[in-house]
Formats: sequence, C-alpha cells, structure tokens
Amino acid sequence: MKKCKAKSLLKKSAKILVHPLIAIICGILVGAVVIFLAGENPLDVYVQMFQKSFLNIYYLLQTLTRSVPIIACSLSVIISWKAGYINLGTEGQMIAGGFVGTIVAIYMPGPTYLVMAAAFIAAMATGSILSLFSAFIFDKFGVSIVISTLMMNYAINYITNYFITFPLRDTGSSLAIQSKEIHAAMKLPRLVEGNTFNLGFIIAVLLVAAITFIIFKTNFGYESKMTGLNPIFAQYGGIKKGRVMYSTMALSGMLAAVAGLLEIFGVKYRFLEGMFTSTSYAWTGLMSGLISSLNPIGAFFVSIFLSGMQVGGTAIQRTTSIPLQVSTLIQATITLFVSVKITINFAKKNKFVSRGTNSAKKVGEE
Amino acid sequence: MLLEMQYIRKMYGNSVLANDDMSLELAEGEVLAIVGENGAGKSTMMKILYGLEAPTSGNIIVRGERCTFKNPQEAIKKGIGMVQQNFMLLPPFSVAENVVYGNEPKKMGLFFDRKKAIKEVRELGEKYDLKINPELKVQDCPVGIQQRCEILKVLYQNTDIIIFDEPSAVLTPQEVEGLLNTIRQLAAMGKSVIIITHKLNEVMKVSDRCIVMRAGKHIAALKTSETNTKELSALMVGRKIIDTEIPPITKGEKVLEVKELCAIGSMGQQALGNCNIHVNAGEIVGIAGVSGNGQTELLHILIGLMKAAGGEVLLNGKPITNLPVRSIREAGCAYVPEDRNTMGAALNATLMETMLMAHQYDVKLNHKGILQYNTADKRFSSMLEEHDVRYFSLRQKAGELSGGNLQKLIVAREMSHGARLQIISEPTRGVDIGAMEFIHNQMIAQRNNGIAILLVSSDLSEMMKLSDRIYVMYDGLINGEVQRGELTSEEIGVLMMGGNLGEKV
Repeated sequence: MKKCKAKSLLKKSAKILVHPLIAIICGILVGAVVIFLAGENPLDVYVQMFQKSFLNIYYLLQTLTRSVPIIACSLSVIISWKAGYINLGTEGQMIAGGFVGTIVAIYMPGPTYLVMAAAFIAAMATGSILSLFSAFIFDKFGVSIVISTLMMNYAINYITNYFITFPLRDTGSSLAIQSKEIHAAMKLPRLVEGNTFNLGFIIAVLLVAAITFIIFKTNFGYESKMTGLNPIFAQYGGIKKGRVMYSTMALSGMLAAVAGLLEIFGVKYRFLEGMFTSTSYAWTGLMSGLISSLNPIGAFFVSIFLSGMQVGGTAIQRTTSIPLQVSTLIQATITLFVSVKITINFAKKNKFVSRGTNSAKKVGEE
Repeated sequence: MLLEMQYIRKMYGNSVLANDDMSLELAEGEVLAIVGENGAGKSTMMKILYGLEAPTSGNIIVRGERCTFKNPQEAIKKGIGMVQQNFMLLPPFSVAENVVYGNEPKKMGLFFDRKKAIKEVRELGEKYDLKINPELKVQDCPVGIQQRCEILKVLYQNTDIIIFDEPSAVLTPQEVEGLLNTIRQLAAMGKSVIIITHKLNEVMKVSDRCIVMRAGKHIAALKTSETNTKELSALMVGRKIIDTEIPPITKGEKVLEVKELCAIGSMGQQALGNCNIHVNAGEIVGIAGVSGNGQTELLHILIGLMKAAGGEVLLNGKPITNLPVRSIREAGCAYVPEDRNTMGAALNATLMETMLMAHQYDVKLNHKGILQYNTADKRFSSMLEEHDVRYFSLRQKAGELSGGNLQKLIVAREMSHGARLQIISEPTRGVDIGAMEFIHNQMIAQRNNGIAILLVSSDLSEMMKLSDRIYVMYDGLINGEVQRGELTSEEIGVLMMGGNLGEKV
C-alpha cells in the first residue's frame, strides 16, 4: 500500500511536469522555425542564447536579478487566481506601489530605516488599495474584476507618467524622464562585485517560501483554494466568500507593489517613465504563474527561465540579426500551449457540470 | 430472435475486465431489464451494442445477421437506438429541431423544412402517445419533457430496439410513472426495449425478463413474473440484504424548532409560508413533497445559506435564524446536501481537502491558522475506512470516486461533526444498493444514539422506511403531518399534490 502511494505520487509529479516541458519544447521549436526563416542557424543562436543567460556567471547573475520582479509578480497572480479572482492588474499595482514607495523614500525626512519601512508600507498599502477597489466594485456593483483591474493598469500608468514628467521630475540630471535617486543608504546591498545582483533575490526566495507555506499549510490557503475550486462548496462549509476575496486580492496587490519596490530599490534606484511597462515584468509573471499551474515553487523556476530567455534574447540581438522579439515569441508560444491545457480542462469541467446540455459531443459525433 | 449478443468480453487495458462472457437475447416487443450495482458492467454492455465501444471479443447478431458497429450511426442503421442518461440535446433549439437533427426533412434537397419537421414530430408524438409541443425550446422544458424529446429522437431514427440507460435517475416520481407507461406502450406497439437500472421496483413494474450482472459477469436471467425485489437485490449484491430493525422511538427533547418561517424565492415568489416544524432527539423526521415546493429553501435557511424573510429557527432552544453558516454549524448542525457534485464536494479537490471542509475550524486540526495535515490524515483515513469508502489515496481527486463512494464520504464527513441535528437531503440518489443499505444503517444508528435527523428525499419509499414522522410540503406550506405507518404512499401522494384527505378519491 505504502509503495503504491509513493509510486502514484511520483507518477503525479511527473504528470505535472510533463505538460510544461512539452510546452517549452514546442515554444523552442516554433522559435527555431522563425530563426531559420530569418536566415540564421537555430542551433547556433540557441547555444549563444543559453550561454549568455545561464552558462556564463555574469549573465546568470543578470538573469537572476531580472527574475526578481517577475517572481514577485507571479506570486501576486497565483494568490488571487488560486481563489478564483482573476487579477490582471498586477502591472498597475506594481507601478503605483513602486511610484508611491519611491516618492516616500525620496521626500520623507527621518532616519533611513524608518523612511525605508514607511516606503515599503506605503507601497504595499497603495497596491492593495487598488486591488481592493476592484474587489469592492465587484462586490457592490458586480463589475467584473478582470475588466476593472485590467483597465486600471492604463489609468495608473498615465497618472504616474504625468507626475514623473511634470511635478516630480528630476530636472537636475539628464534628459531622461525620471525621479531623483533614493538615498544611497536605502539601496539594497549588492551581493557580487561588478554586478547588479542584489539582496532583492534573497527577498524573492523568502517570499516564495512564505507564499508556498501560506498556500499549502495554512487555513487561509485552504479556504482560498476551495473558493477557487467550487465557491458553493466553500460557502456550504462555512467559508465566507467576501472575506476570502478581499484578503486574497489585498495580498495580491501587496505582492505586486513589492515587485515594483524590489526593482527600484535593488536595481534602478529611481522611478523612470515606463520602467515597468516596457519590460512587461507583470505579464511575464502572469505567464510564469500560468505555465506552473499556479504553483509558487514551479513559478520560481519558470520565472528564472523566462528571465533568462529575455536576457539571452537581448544578448543575441547584439551579435546576430535575431531581434529580442524572438524570445517574446517563444514565451508567448509556451504560454499558448499551456493555456490550451487549461482551456481543455475548463471545457471538460463545464461539460461535467451541465448535465443535459452537453450537446457539443453530439455535434462532434454526427 | 431479434437480437443476440454472444460471449461478449471487454477488457480495458490489460487488467480491467468490464464484461466477462456476457450473453443476452431480445425478442420483438419485449422489455428486458439489465440490473446490477454501479460498475457491474451494464453500461459497457450497452455501449458495445450501440457502437460506442468495441468488444474485445464476442458476437452481435441482429435478425440473424452478424454485425460489427464501428460507431453509433452503424448501430442506428440496424435499428438500434439509445436514450442516454445525460441528454444529448441542443437547449436553445426547439423540440422539433432537436428530434430531426441529423435527418432533417429538406426543401428541394437543400433547405431545412421547419414546418414539415414540426408536423412530423407532432404526428410521431401522437402515434406513440408522447404528447409534446414541438415548437417549444428544449431549455424551457422540464427534465421529464426533455427525456420525452430524447425518446422521440430515437423513434424518429426508425429504430426497433431502444436502449434506456438509467432513465429514471433524473426524474421526479410522477415523471417516472409516465416514463414506465411510455416504455410499456412502446413494447405494446412492437418495439423492443432494453432498460438499464438499479431501481428494482421499476424492473418489477415494466420488464418481461431481467438479467442480473455483478462484476462484469452474468449472474442470473429471470422472468420478472417469477421473481421479486428481495431475490433480485440479493443476486445483485451477492448476499442477502437484511432490513434493519428500527427500534421504537424514545421520546427526546426538541432539538430543532422552526416557528412561522417565511422565505422569498429567487423569482420573488413566496417560497415558504408560515412553516412550523420540529425535530426531537432520537427521531428521523422526513419532509415529503414534489421537488421545488420549498424544501430546498427550508434546508438552506436552516444551514444559513439563505436568509429567512420572517419567523424563527431554534437549535437546542437557542435562536440561529439568519446566522452565518459557520456559526450554525458550530451550534450543532450538519448538512448532507442534495447535490454532492455542486455543493457537497469540489471535484478537483483532493479527498483530504474535501473531507476537511467545515472541519478546518477544529482546534485539533488548526493550530492558530496552520492546518495539521498529519493529524487530519490519520483521522480521515480511519473515518473513511469505518464508512467503507473505497479509495486509493487521500491525495486523489474527489471527482475520481464513484458516486456511491463520494456520497459515503460526504455522509462520513458530516456525521463525524457529532452535531445534534443532521440535515440529510437525498442521501441515496444515484447510489447503488450496497451503499444505500450502508447509509441507511448509519442514519438509523445515529437516530438510536439520540441524534435528531431531518430527511428530505424524492424517493418516497426511502422516506417511509426511515422516517418516524413525515411532514408533507406543498407550495411552501406544510400540508400535513403523518406518523410512521399512519398513511399509505398513495395517501401521502395526495397530500404532496396539494389535496387533503377529506376529499380522498
């Protein structure tokens, strides 16, 4: 019996891994075709790409640095999606959190650590207020969370752009549209000489551990998972739907804000116009959440992989005629193949539930 | 002989033997019932006949001619039709459109002739006494009419052999009666019918012969007139089913008291009007009624899933009206819901997670917000064993369990709360005889231990067997209170239809 259990567990974890692996292979194959059509040797390009993202220590640290906000964003997505609330506003919450945190860090007087703590608290509050607002208008007026969180991204991006272009712009330095720099004492310490690799990565690892614990071990994780799987069942068991929604959305917004802060305090040290939209950290985080089927540990590794694709893609752009967009294409293809599975599962589930109306099969048969 | 199936074997993979040397024959105008527990291989046998599955070995002979069916179309060409358990209908389309689907009458060989379709379907309905308005949309029809539409569809394909797969599982008692009449009518008009079921009273009413299956094997073939339900159920389960003795009731104190309860339904109608009931300790109280007469609303208010518009609910003498679900559960109320798939479980959750529901507040399983999965593992494994749930691992998905096993799991979960009031709705719907016997015995044991049980079931015979007292509900009102053995099922039926016994026919 015990042996049987262990075997099935092994089988199950293999099953979970098989699908993303197939998707990744498909993505790489599609990328190979495009590279071939562009007149380069796909194998050469891929070898270069992996050398300049994982196999060389300088690039590897670059990859890990870049993965930090992606990891935090994927955690933000995982927390809300697991409970069945599709928060697409990670980008906006990240921008707003990062912006408010930076402003507090620059302009608030006081001892460094106090200011830094205030900046983190203000940023996380801003991120969660935004996500809570979407939860609230869904609760009270039935406005879809998908729509409101997505739309808010644009509004927040333009509002922060205004502030950074006009009242809060650092006019002293360059022509770039950016804020002043934060105090040197607030910068997250770098861990390796001559590289941007910094404490943020350790924080990201701790966050993954914390979220994994929350999801798999706590009652909060259990209740939000059950609400996501079957809200009627959850309610029947005494779980308060509203409480699960507000708490998961708040946590999701907070994590998005932390993603923004880690990038600013660890790498850029100031708020720049379009710093999160042009890099599309949030959407990469979303993809990694989906590819890993909303598993935080899986998302950690997928985030590093996707980050490596981007770092490698940027590197080969310099030496070959292959643009960075190829790595975006590979990413998108992987996500597409993973979503196919999600959609199929969803369709299956619906068919199971709606007895008497599953006519699709009949159409297929005749 | 119209149809013969000889020595049918069906293997899934290398290990699972679904049918083992099964044979059957069917004469013209005959109704043959195939009975057996869930998983006995009845459905597989019929899927083979209808071309949905290929047999590993064996012959199918229709009118003396050996046939192999690669798909249902080939089976239909030989005059074999099947009324599926899950209807294969297109809900937004009309009855007529659904019936002729695939064989539409055409204008000039090209355009769909809707008028002719409606006319043909109406005539077909009249011929077989299946009255139906062909212009109605399927989604607006009640389940019984949808099934009628499905039967017409099979008849429209000019079939002589009609297979019914668990046809009564989705129907109300009244609709079942209508269905059984239809089946007899079809046989009288020369059609041959095979009906798969595990409801033995239906077998007795409708069939000429029956075949009992167990674990894929042929157990017995009997003339219905020469057997009875006792013999059949013993053959099905493989041992004698003993009716549990229900000891006389001991008078207990009031556990549940509902006073003047009112509720407004989702359409703004009055769902409950001045409902007064009570349940004592050590008593099973049934609520009989055609479904949709306020039972669901009553139960949902009791457990806290719906708000009452007026009135009061007392549990152990304390008011629990309109409290949240968790508070009501903690006050001593457990609930086995009517629909195990949508409310009683999350099919994609593991057994552990399904079992944990409403146990997650137990301090032994929840240390300051952190769940103690090891403790839960031990507790739930022994609970599932006690309740004879057949499972593989607590990490497997709930949706992988058979209906009967999932139901036993839900019953185990709810009974283990030790709540003084247990609300149990449709405890044995779609469950085989073995599981049904088990669940009934559990309920009786709980009652004998002084637990108050409120039972709602659409199966009147189950209700009359278990209940010490029955309230009959009609249109949101209590239309009578009956002690055990006081009335016959026909008399209760009159009350269920809103009549009163003074005007008994």
